[in-house]
Amino acid sequence: MSSRETNRDDCLDIGDAAPYVLGALDDGERYSEHLRTCASCRAEVAELQLVADALPASVAPAVAPESLRDRVLATVRSEAELLHAAGHEADEPPRQPGRWRARRLSLLSTSVAIVATAATIVAIALAIGVSSTTHERVITAQVSPSLPGARASLRQFGGHAELVVSGMRQPRAGMIYEVWVQRGNGSPQPANALFSVNSRGSGSASVPTGLDGVRSVLVTSEPLGGSLHPTSAPVIRVALAA
Amino acid sequence: MSRLRPVVNSKEKLRKLADEELMELVAGNDADAFEIIFERHADAAFSLAYRMCGRRSLAEDVAQEAFLALWRSGTRYDRSRGSVRTWALGIVHNRAVDALRRSGVHERRRVSDEGIEESLEAPERTDAQAIGNAASREIRGALEELPEEQRRVIELAYFGGFTHIEIASMLDTPLGTVKGRMRLGLQKLRGDLHGWEAVGA
Repeated sequence: MSSRETNRDDCLDIGDAAPYVLGALDDGERYSEHLRTCASCRAEVAELQLVADALPASVAPAVAPESLRDRVLATVRSEAELLHAAGHEADEPPRQPGRWRARRLSLLSTSVAIVATAATIVAIALAIGVSSTTHERVITAQVSPSLPGARASLRQFGGHAELVVSGMRQPRAGMIYEVWVQRGNGSPQPANALFSVNSRGSGSASVPTGLDGVRSVLVTSEPLGGSLHPTSAPVIRVALAA
Repeated sequence: MSRLRPVVNSKEKLRKLADEELMELVAGNDADAFEIIFERHADAAFSLAYRMCGRRSLAEDVAQEAFLALWRSGTRYDRSRGSVRTWALGIVHNRAVDALRRSGVHERRRVSDEGIEESLEAPERTDAQAIGNAASREIRGALEELPEEQRRVIELAYFGGFTHIEIASMLDTPLGTVKGRMRLGLQKLRGDLHGWEAVGA
């Protein structure tokens, strides 16, 4: 390994630069490490990288499906809301509260009745298992029989809670899964968490509202942007110890 | 982080910003700024994922993962290391390679044998896109002019997600020869694409 730049081929590893920029080197990390000390290889990689970066432009153009847009932007919007709610950017003016939720207020009356039947619907479900360690608690959720093969659990660690799902069907077009928290005998409140799942049915959502006094965590399918009150029966329910 | 965000970012104002400026807002969790980044690059990202994966559903998953990674790691974008487009497509490429390697060699062989044809037949392609811009015509033309053996190893590696060892084994060719063909091919493309940086930027 030479530091002379006059003849790059002085370095025995120079031939690894081409497979490296193409992402085809088995031990790419070793070569990355090598690049820190070998100017010859660095120069070769810099030159060939420009070519590798141009390769995507050679593919036949296709239009991204609308569902990709829906899934990505719904997740991004919900995460941005969470971050704002969590006060990560307290120096910024607050967004208009519930901008995209207000229009769903009219659904309030119907949703109350639906929620009343929710407990019955999800009662036909899997057993509840609770395992706990000093730092993390995992609670297995009840899943509606309308989602055969789906599994869900709530992971609690510190003051943070995360719902993890697998085997879930993707929300119908224009819909997204929304997380709710229920305190005492009150009606479900938005947990400010929306999520979708990938084609393998996996997904997750943080529950930013915290779980103090929360009796259950619910998931329903809602129109994109989320609702202020559930507009469909819960498909997932996590019962928390009183 | 400095306060770069004005009090009101209307979509109209955001659309006038360059990608690099939008990424500063994305790093501050601005979903509207991200939406514009998404709009500008979603087709290119999906096209690359589709070319590599050969299946729409997998390509969509890969593109979704990549954009969410871009959103969540917006703070790591460094404009001194290239355009947002290049950075975004680099993430797509990495995610697609991961997905292909999870799916096994057999599936990858099928995709790399059939993928190009399927991509070209993609029904949502419009005439305007089929014509493509000058830069993509240039790179496509340069690839086609490469000696077949060089083009093959570059495509298997970059689009097929195969490692150089797998390619050597598939083609029953010594490893050193495979690496040499990759290097010669890329160097030739480098010469053909002289001035590409200016065109692609």
